[in-house]
Parts: sequence; C-alpha cells; structure tokens
Amino acid sequence: MPTTKPPAPLEPHWFQILLALADRDLHGLAIMHDVLERTGGRMRLWPGMLYRALGRLADIGLVTEIEPPDDAPIAGGRPRFFRITTAGRRACAAEAERLAGFVAVARRKKLLRA
Amino acid sequence: MPRPSSAFVRLLLRAYPRHLRVRERDALEAACIACLARERARLGRLGVPYAWRRLIADTITAAILLRVDERRRRRLAWHHSQHSAPKEILMTRIWQDVKYAARLLQRAPVFSLVVIATLAVTIGATTAVFTVVNGVLLRALPYRDPTRLVLLQEAIGEMGPWGFSAPDYLAFEARAGLFESIAAFRNREYELSGVEPPERVIVTRASATLFETLGVRPALGRPFTREDDESARPVAVLSDALWTRKFARDPAAVGRAILLDRQPFTIVGVMPNGFIFPQRGLLINNVPADVYVPIAFTPSDRRGFGSMYANGVVARLKPGGTVTQANVDTRALVQANAREIYPAALSGLAAAVSGSATPLTDEVIGRSRTLLWVVFAAVGCVLLIACADIASLILARAMAREREIAVRSALGAGRGRLIRQLLAESALLASIGSVLGLLLAVWLSRALVALAPSTLPRLHEIGLDARVLLFTAALTVVTALLCGMLPALELTRPRGSALKDGSRTSTGRRERRIFGTLVAAQLAIAVVLLVGGGLLLRSFSKLMAVDTGFRVERLLTLGISLPAQGYRDAASVRGFYSRLLDDLSQVPGVSAAGASTGLPLGVRDLRVFTIEQESPATRELPHSADPEYVAGRYVEALGIPLKRGRYLGAEDAAASEPVAVINETMARRFWGTSDPIGQRIAWGLESQHGPWMRIVGVVGDVKQGALNTETISQTYVPWMQVSDGMIADNVVGIMRSLRVALRGEVEPTALTDTVRARIRAIDFALPVTSVQTMSEIVKRSTAVPRFNALLVSLFAVLALLLAAIGIAGMLAMSVSRRMPELGIRMALGAQRQTLFAMVIRQGMITAAAGLATGLLSAWLVSRVLSSLLFGISPRDPMTFATVAGLLGVVALVACALPAWSVTRVDPLKALRAE
Repeated sequence: MPTTKPPAPLEPHWFQILLALADRDLHGLAIMHDVLERTGGRMRLWPGMLYRALGRLADIGLVTEIEPPDDAPIAGGRPRFFRITTAGRRACAAEAERLAGFVAVARRKKLLRA
Repeated sequence: MPRPSSAFVRLLLRAYPRHLRVRERDALEAACIACLARERARLGRLGVPYAWRRLIADTITAAILLRVDERRRRRLAWHHSQHSAPKEILMTRIWQDVKYAARLLQRAPVFSLVVIATLAVTIGATTAVFTVVNGVLLRALPYRDPTRLVLLQEAIGEMGPWGFSAPDYLAFEARAGLFESIAAFRNREYELSGVEPPERVIVTRASATLFETLGVRPALGRPFTREDDESARPVAVLSDALWTRKFARDPAAVGRAILLDRQPFTIVGVMPNGFIFPQRGLLINNVPADVYVPIAFTPSDRRGFGSMYANGVVARLKPGGTVTQANVDTRALVQANAREIYPAALSGLAAAVSGSATPLTDEVIGRSRTLLWVVFAAVGCVLLIACADIASLILARAMAREREIAVRSALGAGRGRLIRQLLAESALLASIGSVLGLLLAVWLSRALVALAPSTLPRLHEIGLDARVLLFTAALTVVTALLCGMLPALELTRPRGSALKDGSRTSTGRRERRIFGTLVAAQLAIAVVLLVGGGLLLRSFSKLMAVDTGFRVERLLTLGISLPAQGYRDAASVRGFYSRLLDDLSQVPGVSAAGASTGLPLGVRDLRVFTIEQESPATRELPHSADPEYVAGRYVEALGIPLKRGRYLGAEDAAASEPVAVINETMARRFWGTSDPIGQRIAWGLESQHGPWMRIVGVVGDVKQGALNTETISQTYVPWMQVSDGMIADNVVGIMRSLRVALRGEVEPTALTDTVRARIRAIDFALPVTSVQTMSEIVKRSTAVPRFNALLVSLFAVLALLLAAIGIAGMLAMSVSRRMPELGIRMALGAQRQTLFAMVIRQGMITAAAGLATGLLSAWLVSRVLSSLLFGISPRDPMTFATVAGLLGVVALVACALPAWSVTRVDPLKALRAE
C-alpha cells in the first residue's frame, strides 16, 4: 500500500526502471540490462542503487512485487519479479510528457532537427 | 577475462539488510558480478579497480539507505496503527469480531434465544415506559416558548388553589404590567348542532388574549378580538380535531355557522393540528376544548366578589422575568386588589385571599412526575436484574473458553482486543434484543396509553420520536456493557494456570464470589421493587376502603344540559326537570331519583356565606362552602345518611321559606357541639347577602374531591328555590346543567335504555351525556393510584421471578461444577441430606445478603413514594416484613431444585468424570 505520494519530477533512474517495466515484468538483473541497452550504456545501474530504487518505487505504489512466472529466465537463484502498477504507468507517462516538452522546446529553438 | 572473486562479492553483500540478503542473495551476487563485467568491458583493465570502487561505494550507500528506508517504513506503520488506524482496518476487525460472535451464538441456539427474548421483553418494556415519560414529561408543551408561561391561581386562606373570580381577574388584568400578556379561560359543556350528528362538546370561553398569550395563531381564519369579547359577539374558533370530524378539513368551514346550545355562532378560525388547550393535568378547566368562544363576562360576573373562583388564568412572562418574581408580584397584587375592590363587609375574605404563579408546565405535568418516574425506575430495575442474569449466563458460558482466551493472549492478542471480541457477543445479543424490543415497545406503549388513567395529561402526544430512538440506541449500548463487561474483564484477567497441561476450568472461590454477588444484587433490586409495589398496593387498598360518605352501588348518573333555545326562561327549565324527575321516579326499578349541580368525587366550587348571629369564635374562619343545588330526592338517592333534622323535600318549593342542609364538617366547624338546626345562613357578605336560608338538616360528609382529599364545608340548597335569573342564565349555565342520580333496585345499566327513552319523550333532540354508574366514577377517580400500583407490582413480580431464576441458575451451575467433589464426599461417607443442606445453605446465605441489602436500600429510598401513598407510611413495617418473608420463601424454593439434584448424584459416575 502506497505510503507517500511520488515526487515530481521522477528521478532519472526511476524513470528508466519504469520504462523497462512498461511492457513486461522483469527481475532486477534484467532491468539493469534493459536500461543499459536502451540508454546505449549512458545509464549504468548498480545493484544497491537499483534495489533501493525498487524498494522506494514499491513504497509509493509505482511498482509491485509479483511471483516469478514459471518460465522466467533466471540468473542465479530465483529472483524477485516486478510489475509496473497503474499509478506507475501514469507517473512514467507524465515524466515522458514532461521530457517531450523539453524536446519540443529544443526543436523550436532549432537545437534539434525535427 | 578473468572472473572477479565471487567470495569477495559475497563478503560485500553481507552489508545489505538481512531480509534482502536472505531473499535476493543469488540475484544480488549475479548483479554485482554483471556490473563488474560491464565496467571491465567498457574500460578494460583500468575498469576493474574503478568497478570495485564503485561497487563498494554503491553497496555501502545502499546498505545505509535501505536500513533508513526500513526504519521509516516501520515508523509510519506504527503511527498508522496508533493514531490514525485506517477506518477500513478498524471496521474490518470489528466486522470480524461480530462474525465470530455470530458463529458462536449460532452454535448455542437455546442460550441465544433465551437471552434475546429476555432482552427484547425488558428493553421493550423500558422503551415503552420511556415513550410515555417522553410524551408526558420531556416534550415541551405545544405553545411558543412554553417555559415563559405561568398559571395564576388564587387561594383563600388554607383552601385552594382555585381559579380567579371574574372581578379579581379583571382587576388583575388592568394592573398586570408584570406580564407580557394574560388571559382567562373557563370550560363548559355545550350541545353542538347545526352539523350532523349533534353531540356534546367542550367549549372553552376565553379572553381575546388567549391565543396571543400561548403564542399560537389559528391555522385558518383569525382569533377572536377584544371587540368580539367585550361585545359578546357569537364567534367561535374550532379545534383541528373538531374541524376534521365535522367539516372534513374543508377551508370553507370558516364563515359557516354552528349552534352551541342552539344559539348560532360564526366560525372565524381553526386552530392548527397539535394545538391542545386546556391541558389535562390542571386542577380545574382541564379538558381540552373542541371550540373556543369569547369569555364575555356579564355584569353579574363582574359583581361576583367572593364567589365563582373558577376562571383559569394563564400569563406570559416578560423577557427577563422569572417565575419567582412573578409569584411574589402576583401574591402582592392579588392581595392589594382584594383590599381595594372587595366591599368592606368582605374584608375578612379579602385579607385571606392570596395569589400565586407557577410554571404552566409544572401545573400540567407536575402531579404526574413522581408517578411516571417511579414506574420508569421500576422497569429500569427489572432491566438491571435481567442484565445481571444474562451476565451470569455469559460468564458461565465464557468460562468454557478460558483456554482459548489464554492461547490467544499467549500469541500476542492484547487484553483490549480480547475484551472487544468478548463484548461483540453481548453487543450482538443486545442489538438483536433491542430491535425486537423496539417493535414490542410500539405495541406496549399503546397498551400503556389505553390502560393509563384518562386524567394523565398529554396522552395524545405519546409516540415514537427521535428522542425515543436515541434512548433505545443508548440503552442497547448500556445493556451490552452491563451484560458483557464483567464476563469480559473476568475472563481476560491474567492467570498462570490456564495453559497448564491437564488443567481444568473450575469454579474457584473468586468465580463463586462473583456469581454470588450478581445474584445478591438481583435479589436486592427485587426487594426494593417488591417493597415499592407492596406499599402502593396497600395504599391503594386503604384508598378503596375510604368511606365515600354515600352508597356507591346501584347508582346510575347522567348529565343533561338545557339549551337556551327551547328553554329560554326559568319556568321552562324548572318545568323540564320537575317533569323529568317525576317520570324517572316512576321507572320500575328506581327507588329514588334526584338531580344536582355536581356529583361527589368531582371538582368543587366555593361560595362565600354569612351566618346570622354568628359566634365571635368563628368570625375569623374563612366563610366559604361548596354549594350543591339539588332537586328531587338527590341526597336520598345517593344514600347520604341524615345526622340531624330532615332531608330537603317537595315542601321546599320556590314559594316556601328558603332552607339548606349542611354537612357534618360545616356543622362542626361553625357550631361545634351546638345544634345548627334552625340557624340561618345566606350567600354573600354580611352587608350584602341573599335571602336567609334556615338550616333544616345535617347530613354525613361525602368526598367532594378525590378520595385522598380533605372534606370541606358543604351545603345542599333546593334547586327549586334558586332565583329565576340564575336558573335562566345561559352564560355560565350552571343551573341548566344538572347531573341526574338514580338509585336502582336492579343493576343500573339495566335502566339506561328506559331512562334515555323517558328523556327523549320529553325532548327528542336533547342529548344525554356522561351516562355512567357511580361505581365507574369511583373507579375513575382512583385510576391513578390503581395504575401506579398495578404497574409497579407487575414489575416487582417480574423482578422476583428473574431473581429467583438467577439464584436457581447459580446454584445449578455450582452443583454441576462441583459434581466430582460431591461424588468424592459421598464416596467418603457424606449423607445425601448433608449435601442437600449444604447447597441450600449456600443459596440462602446469598439470598440473605441480597435481602439485607435490599431492605436497607428500600428503607432509604421509599420516601420517594410519599406523595403517592395514602394512609400508609413509606416505611410501613408490615410491608417490609411481608416482603422479607415472601423473598425468603421464594429463595428457598429456588434453591430446592438444584439442592434436590444433588441427592440424585451417583458417586461412581461423578468419580469417573474426575
């Protein structure tokens, strides 16, 4: 049960974790790999930072822990799987829109090609 | 690429919080290794130390922050549970407790039904009585700001209080600046015709200021005005009930004419629904009116000093005024007025006249307060006894769950949580009981209203309202606590032995003391109720033994009032009654027929008189007597004994010497041991009086008012010798409205049809009212003490029954639990009789404790009943002794059954159980 409201705007690594979970449930290591690939190596999540972020995201109800699926690929033991919640989707979408706004401004100022 | 040391990574992982390590050790290790590999791949050999440094920093930071997060989570969770437990969590727990309690009760259907039935009856009875108390005592009178209304009364010396005479009221009204407004009113019965069918109605003749004083305006039309009053205009305002009954609530009724005593009156207004005036409960003018007309004092009224103290007066205090001040001012003004306006010869009376002001609410309900609160206290006591019984039952049943409670406590359930769980059971029982009780209360309150004396005020206002519902809800909570708290506290009391292997639940000394205390308390309350009921019953029987002064049996009475239309003058009125009494005397089965302006046990009037050649010793006494104008053989019909001289007779006609017969009280007071026969008295003052009347007889005293009131001076004057003017007067109409009394040789009800036929033969259209036997009149006059005695005694018997069940139940349970012990005793040689006596002794010790406590409590509180008792002291020793004996016998019988069961114990079976 969420105990505090999510801060706005989202921490960058929180945003990336939510993006990783947006279309599928993943465990911690898979989230690290997904973020690394999607950001082209620009964001490198470390274990402590990742698990703390997952704990805080669960506290405020943006993600929830689920039972691992039977066919889940595992890397060392039986890790916890995480799923984004509806509130998490909304928070992630809001952050994406915020960032898209910045991109639109940058395009208008011809810093970026359309 | 060489792999990093997994052992070192595992060592590093020990910095994480334990719960994370336990669950995620492998995943964390894999993640750490993946990070090290990632950095090595990105930065080459130089990335390895960088990766280790980053990993160690990340681990240490995460270890600290994860612990901080955990602590914050725990702190938030604690705060939620302590200060702002989510409503959902609390409600969920309560709902769980209720469901669990319901399951337990379902498994014990007999117990549940007995308890629910007991609670339904006792809560229903308590709510029903409260409904009556609420309607009569607690609801405000249906007037604007009723706390500002006072009733003004006059008294003459020790006699009174009475109403105001007309001249006294007019003088008071002219000078009563101490009140915001003031009004006089007086009731009279009229024949209502002009709308079918004709009937007798109560008409209140009132000042134009009455409705303004009460603060209620007609819902339709207008009130009558001062001009209507002063010019005696024939206008009328109807009550809502009459308008509904006679005109089907048609607004076009305003402006129509009705006939009162065959005189036309124009309807100018209709009072709103719920408006009732005058209220029952007042001493005089106490019948709610159907019609209001202007009081229109006649010149004769205005000269009536020292007589007809029969006008009720109601006043509204000015803002800031107090009742105490109004009382003082009224007394002073009445005395000042009397000294100023009374003729000189009436100076003695003027000096004795005084006034008072009391809150109208107190006058209406004051005489009913003690009665109703006593009945309420009685039914409350029954409820208390029932709660004590149920508490014993619940405790006995809950003791079987001692081990279960101990286990829950050992697993961490707090005492509060356990108590709440146990209270859920009694709360559920009380809730179901109170819902059923409320339904029962609707029926019971109607039954109470039907049984209640008709003189009880505001009976029509009794009904369920928000206050009654709130009372029932509060009663449910209190009952649940009374029934459940003791068992809950006792069962959750910490004790060490409940969980020991092989330990049995047992009735220890403490439990025996608790049960004994509960039973003793029930018995004590039952004793108090029995003493109260006993005192009221004895008081009632003493009241019924009071000599009324006349023969009650086989006496039929009825009321006739002659309207001015058809009986315009004195001759026609005299002619009607003469013919009527002659005819009725000849009805087979009638041994004597007469008529009078009033009957015994009714409301009395007072008239000033003077004595010719009076002894100086009696001059200072108030010279007021109740005048009774009688026709035919009235005094003989009532069976009033003749003490000296003769009865009034046919020879005492209009043309004969005016005569009078007085009662023993008047003879004793004014003539002492001398013979009053031949002495003369006259109505009025010494200087201005009516014709002298010679006293020709002295008759026995009759009870003029209620049976428990003092007898006052009374005169019987031949109605035929009353002046033509008074006979013909239709404003007050006393002499036109006589009560006929018939002494029968058969049951009086057998005469009713014949009597009606004889009256119809003389005047077909004349309604006959108040046909009742004297026995019914006596019964009605004792309705209040009868009601009181009946109810309190009923509750006392119920209380005794419940208490007897309580003591029997306690002993039965005690015997059942001690069965193994008793078996051992028998096996060791104890006689059955010895065990029988032991059980009886245990029960009677408890009963004796309850009896002693109850008698002492009754001794202390019985004085509350003083105002309700007649001829008996509230500490009557006979009553107390009878109750003690009765309770002793009942307790003995209640103990006998469980004691007898001991004698049937089979020692072998009992030992096998052990």
